[in-house]
Amino acid sequence: MNIIETEQLTKIFPGDVKAVDSISFEVKPGEIFGFLGPNGAGKTTTIKMLNTLIPPTSGTAKVAEYDIIKNPADVRRNIGYVAQDIGVDEHATGKENLTLYGHFYRLDGKTIKQRVQELFQLVDLTGYENKIVSTYSGGMRKRLDIAMGLIHQPKLIFLDEPTTGLDPQTRTHMWEYIRNLAKNMGITIFLTTHYMEEADQLADRIAIIDLGKLMAIDTPEKLKQSIGGDIVTLSSRATTDEEREQFKTRTEEALAGKSFVLGTQVADGELAIYVDNDTSAVPAIMNILASKHIEVESLSISRPSLDDVFLKYTGHSIRAQEGTRTTFSEMMRRRNRR
Amino acid sequence: MDFLSDTWFQIGRHLRTQVRMKIWIFMNLFQPILWLLLFTQVFKSLSNQPAIGDSYLQFFAPGVVVMTVMFGSAWTGMGMLQDIDMGILSKMLATPVTRVSIITSRIIASMTMLVVQALIIFTLAVIMGVTIATGFPGVLFSIVIVSLLGLGFAAFSNGLALLFKRPEPLMGIINFVSLPMMFLSSTMMPSELLPSWLDTMRRFNPVDYAVVGVRDLVSEGYIWSDLWLSIVVLAAWALVGIGFGTRMFRARAE
Repeated sequence: MNIIETEQLTKIFPGDVKAVDSISFEVKPGEIFGFLGPNGAGKTTTIKMLNTLIPPTSGTAKVAEYDIIKNPADVRRNIGYVAQDIGVDEHATGKENLTLYGHFYRLDGKTIKQRVQELFQLVDLTGYENKIVSTYSGGMRKRLDIAMGLIHQPKLIFLDEPTTGLDPQTRTHMWEYIRNLAKNMGITIFLTTHYMEEADQLADRIAIIDLGKLMAIDTPEKLKQSIGGDIVTLSSRATTDEEREQFKTRTEEALAGKSFVLGTQVADGELAIYVDNDTSAVPAIMNILASKHIEVESLSISRPSLDDVFLKYTGHSIRAQEGTRTTFSEMMRRRNRR
Repeated sequence: MDFLSDTWFQIGRHLRTQVRMKIWIFMNLFQPILWLLLFTQVFKSLSNQPAIGDSYLQFFAPGVVVMTVMFGSAWTGMGMLQDIDMGILSKMLATPVTRVSIITSRIIASMTMLVVQALIIFTLAVIMGVTIATGFPGVLFSIVIVSLLGLGFAAFSNGLALLFKRPEPLMGIINFVSLPMMFLSSTMMPSELLPSWLDTMRRFNPVDYAVVGVRDLVSEGYIWSDLWLSIVVLAAWALVGIGFGTRMFRARAE
């Protein structure tokens, strides 16, 4: 029995914005299911439909065996939700935050007391029960936030971008907590992220979502295998867009029809060539480029990563798309480099 | 039952938050004291006017109670905005908590604080020399009257917060509406001294019904014709407010 089943789930916002475009998938009990996509791909909208915060425009879903439209109250009782924003009350203590949620789930006072103690231990906050949350660090708040979603021992918890805004060290810690949840408590975790590494590290299965559409769904290993062999990445000496374009077309022409080339793709100004596992591919490429007088600044060979998987299924890199959204910070970075 | 317990536990949350803000408590106690002291000085020359009586303080004290409750409750939507902004509201909505309790607990919590404030202002006024014609029962009656007024304001404020989900329009509307509502009433000037168009306007103003009711209880006694009218009009005001607030909540909360 699947813990989540969606069928043609669709959300269209006013202005004909298709945030989620007829997606169908299943989540099995006990797994960590990674929902991977760039910002604005439709990840949060999907979660908000599954946890009954917003109704779908069309399609259906069953969560914990209850229909999200017909039995929203039953769905809510059986799930935990940890949103991207840390939804904890800063003016209350950690214990008060947790206790209030215990009451929302209709637990009796004694059970709440016991669970609060256990949960503080689980998320490593013992000793901070009676401190006001505004004195907590970002990572501590996030851990409390997660604990609040677990007070009623749900079968399934939604973690929406659980490590966004945390520093790298705290992020690694958070991964530990999430892994332990799945392993020790047998909770199914539905996790969204735009970090490749996070999906790769945590998820048993990954769904790639882009522009509201489900592009691929499988285990990280199988997704990587689907690319074929290795990836040879070339970067040119080109400095202008025109030169780069020329480099790309010339290289593609030179390699056209070669049996070891499975495909090419441009990302971040570099040219990725998917080649089969034949070790002679790299020297062959170098010879061809030399004979055509195509100058290459650097060449690297890599095993397929999730970045490559993402690129293959969506036609763009997750980072490139984010770059256009953070023009200001990009600008600052460039300025600092000078 | 779930509704009552949900409301109860959330009232606890809201009251704890307010009590912990020392500066907030200080300001809320200090402001009415300032009004009592400052405005009675500003309008001192009005004392001994036949429409006002011997002391402007005696005339104005009910107005201070009403003003405090009105402004205090009109701003309660800001707390809802904060919950929306911090993601607290949507996190709560994904739990089995009864929907309406989220808004009722806010309104009741803010009313509780305002009742305490009103009691303090009454005490202070008595210390400063105000005599209350109906005594302590009259004070309790007054509190019922201003509570109804406050309920309406708090409910409208929460409704507007949910409608706009931004502080700027809420602040704009409250400022735009609350001051005229105070001046288009007999809060600071007896109705006899108001121009006739203003005297007509105040009959459409719930604030005036609260002021008239409380002033009767403080200075005159149980004038039932006035008091019944106050209660009926203010109860209607509160109901309309709550209707608007809960409707906005159902439509806009996610």
